[in-house]
Amino acid sequence: MGLSAMLFAYMVVAQVIVLPLFSQDGENNFSAWEKELPQSIGELKEIQKQMQSVLQRVRNTVVSVEAEDGAGSGVLISSDGLILTAAHVIGERGRKMQIVFPDGQKLEALSLGGSEISDAGILKIIEPGEWEYAPMALANNSKVGDWCFALGHPSGFDADRGLVLRVGRIIEKKEETLQTDCRLLGGDSGGPLFSVYGEVIGIHSRISQSPEDNFHTTVESFISNWEYFLNEELHTFGDMQKGGFLGVSCKQATDGLHILAVVPNSPAMNANLQPGDVLKRVDGMPLDTREKLMILISSKPPGSLVAIDYLREENEISVQITLGERLVEE
Amino acid sequence: MKSRLVILWNFLSLSFLFGEPLSLPVALAPEYRLNGSSIGNALGQTKDDILRSIVGLYRNERLIAHGVIVDPRGFLLTKASSSVGARIIKSCQNESFPIRIRKRDEVTDLALWEIVSSSASSWNSATWEEESNVTDLGSWAFSASASLEGIGLGVISATSRPIGREGGVMGVLLKETNSSSHGIEVLEVLPQAAGDRAGLKISDRIIRVDGRPVKNTGQINRVLQNKDPGDLLTVVVNRKDNEVVLRITLGHQAVAFDLFNRNLIMSGPVSKRKDNFSLILQHDLPVTKEMMGGGLFNLQGHCLGINIARVDRVTNYTLPSNVVLPVLNKWLDLLP
Repeated sequence: MGLSAMLFAYMVVAQVIVLPLFSQDGENNFSAWEKELPQSIGELKEIQKQMQSVLQRVRNTVVSVEAEDGAGSGVLISSDGLILTAAHVIGERGRKMQIVFPDGQKLEALSLGGSEISDAGILKIIEPGEWEYAPMALANNSKVGDWCFALGHPSGFDADRGLVLRVGRIIEKKEETLQTDCRLLGGDSGGPLFSVYGEVIGIHSRISQSPEDNFHTTVESFISNWEYFLNEELHTFGDMQKGGFLGVSCKQATDGLHILAVVPNSPAMNANLQPGDVLKRVDGMPLDTREKLMILISSKPPGSLVAIDYLREENEISVQITLGERLVEE
Repeated sequence: MKSRLVILWNFLSLSFLFGEPLSLPVALAPEYRLNGSSIGNALGQTKDDILRSIVGLYRNERLIAHGVIVDPRGFLLTKASSSVGARIIKSCQNESFPIRIRKRDEVTDLALWEIVSSSASSWNSATWEEESNVTDLGSWAFSASASLEGIGLGVISATSRPIGREGGVMGVLLKETNSSSHGIEVLEVLPQAAGDRAGLKISDRIIRVDGRPVKNTGQINRVLQNKDPGDLLTVVVNRKDNEVVLRITLGHQAVAFDLFNRNLIMSGPVSKRKDNFSLILQHDLPVTKEMMGGGLFNLQGHCLGINIARVDRVTNYTLPSNVVLPVLNKWLDLLP
């Protein structure tokens, strides 16, 4: 089975679990966790019951990730041992790291790719086998206000303490990050943020100075760049500086990337791209996240020719653009 | 001129790529957040009952601990080491009363105080949840806010377990030595920590600890692990070929070394004593070290135990009712 087919399979699994839960609720019969605020002790209990039952399903999928210079966390998302974590936990592709299961079992894993833009990273357990895993949420399946819970190993693995749970709500969702008020600490990095349905919606990334305002990589980043993360080097900010340059700033939307501004004298301006245009594809690959555009452009050397499809008003237009060099301070 | 434009546009394009200059995303309004002003309203009357059973303990007008009313005659339970020197309590109605200490237990770090009041008022004591150590992971838990005006919300966040001894510390860095016949060298002395106060100096060579000759760092560590903060350690050092005897009152890990731990720098002040408890519940509530001694409550408004240590910003310990009640009941039986 190919990797994209496997990803598709996880999504199907996720859908099978989620859809019945939604369909039971009529328009006027929301579950307690779908309301703006819980109104009673009964509703708090309902949220608690949902989270606790889901917690039992997913707790064995969360691992500690250990290297000589520190520890992070991660979550298994496939039976053959793929682990989502943070880019800053793996650092680079091809690194051997030790993972520790909640019961203390230790295994070796190898880092694959990821991206420093969103802080997404992937590991794979080296030894063949079958492991319990958690489903990834579908893209755009979480929103501001949703209840969620964070799992991880703050300050590293502790056999007596076990996994540490934190509950909160999504307080902001931007292109490459999700913010919640789940309290996090060093060692949590790379650990999973779960929806109340037990799907991975984010990966713990940066820990904010304010305890109730922490950052997570979005699951959308993994979905959008899946093949690239699995097969290519970890995409770094250094790569962004050295790589090809287009010269647009965009806002991510469901129908593509809306151009907000075009840099004067950039390849984008020379190709007549304009604010308001909606970027659809680069070299035939659909643009579902802003990060994907950044990676597709900056992973090519300056001077490369790319095919860009965009929408202006009703018309789809295709252009060939020669990428420039990102200008650096002299 | 050209280079100035280049810099400007490079800055703009980077900020457009990484920031959100033109579209303001909608953030969840503060009152809807986990510890926003509105969530606690779901508790209704239970919230007021919880708040009426909690008091703030003050020393020199400063909040130093919370306490739980445990008897209608006006007895309260708190964290012993946090409540040292308390003079008055303030209730959630902002009434002040003098207090006096009645009992103190080193093992659990609990203390019983009596509220001194001329009026024969009956105090609203907390209702206990028995055997609270079996509370499930993910159960909601509540504590009073610092000012006793609202409540903090969180969950039981990890396995209930005993917490071992951290041991006392000298607050020095020693040269890692396997076998030395002329003492173990002191590489660093942390200012104001136990060793510094006792006069230990950089380059001193430790040759005897509590009368026993030491040849490696492991031997020193084993002695320290069996001592608590506050215990005395007699150290003989070789200083420029003279033997000097030093008597060190050992300090807390939290005071000496946690200053160098990034996680704890981000966590803010933590409890001095956060070790050596026979059993704890762990939770993730937003509490400060000045709120230790207060109660942790469940959805029924029953007290699960006494908040006993703020460990870091995601970790707090609560002594469960099955540890607290035997101590408390013995004390209450002994009172007239």
